[in-house]
Amino acid sequence: MKVEIVDWQAVASWHWDLKDDSITDELCGICRVAFDGTCPNCKYPGNECPLILGAGCQHNFHLHCILQWLEQDTSKGLCPMCRQVFEFRKDFNTVTKDINSLLMLIDGHKSMRDREVDEEFDSFDDDLRMND
Amino acid sequence: MSTPAKRRLMRDFKRMQQDAPSGVSASPLPDNVMTWNAVIIGPSDTPFEDGTFKLILQFDEQYPNKPPTVKFISEMFHPNVYASGELCLDILQNRWSPTYDVSSILTSIQSLLNDPNISSPANVEAANLYKDHRSQYIKRVRETVENSWNDDDDDDEDEDEEDEE
Repeated sequence: MKVEIVDWQAVASWHWDLKDDSITDELCGICRVAFDGTCPNCKYPGNECPLILGAGCQHNFHLHCILQWLEQDTSKGLCPMCRQVFEFRKDFNTVTKDINSLLMLIDGHKSMRDREVDEEFDSFDDDLRMND
Repeated sequence: MSTPAKRRLMRDFKRMQQDAPSGVSASPLPDNVMTWNAVIIGPSDTPFEDGTFKLILQFDEQYPNKPPTVKFISEMFHPNVYASGELCLDILQNRWSPTYDVSSILTSIQSLLNDPNISSPANVEAANLYKDHRSQYIKRVRETVENSWNDDDDDDEDEDEEDEE
């Protein structure tokens, strides 16, 4: 029998390569798409939009999903799941522009919180002075 | 045009269809997924029991990073609902989280019905009656329950046409 291939189409599936495989079966809590799917802002999966793994808490998100949330002042830099200060594991091979933006946003929220604490102490000091 | 907000709302809709929490239902307008109609059934063993309270949810392209605006269409008598139907609920304002969806918003509003927050009332009269004259409060709420059954004259959403072949 002679077989002639007239046409062929390559099909591939892909999967995030993580130590803990169970994570990739979960949904991103923000966009509700599986981690192995793309975030709603991306057409193709890949290192442009890696998974961001929570470091303080154990909550994970697509990069663009958590980035857009932390861009909101109202987020106060908190994890949308548990409202702890959001930190993430930084073991990336390449640090992209968006990962840098995420780092800057987290820093921004941190200095905002520090300033608020300082202001509270200042007004506390003022109160003490007035009482003297 | 599909946008991230619209895609997320379609997922919310799927979730509402697959496992809607009991006593709430919601669906987007047929021609606009950014506007939803919803109904909350008053929880049993509360003055709101059997009420069919209608709401409208308006989303924008910032969803789920910004909450929708939520408004009761049905007349309400509740300490945290303004005369305009708008409601005062922390998770729809400063405690919003992008992990909420239509289903969790409606569940929160449903539990707010019998668990009002009296410290910052949107309806002072309702708050005062709730605190000091509970029987009068219940009477006023029961009136809104009865009215909630009548105010679906202008929309025919319950018109079930059985045109199956």
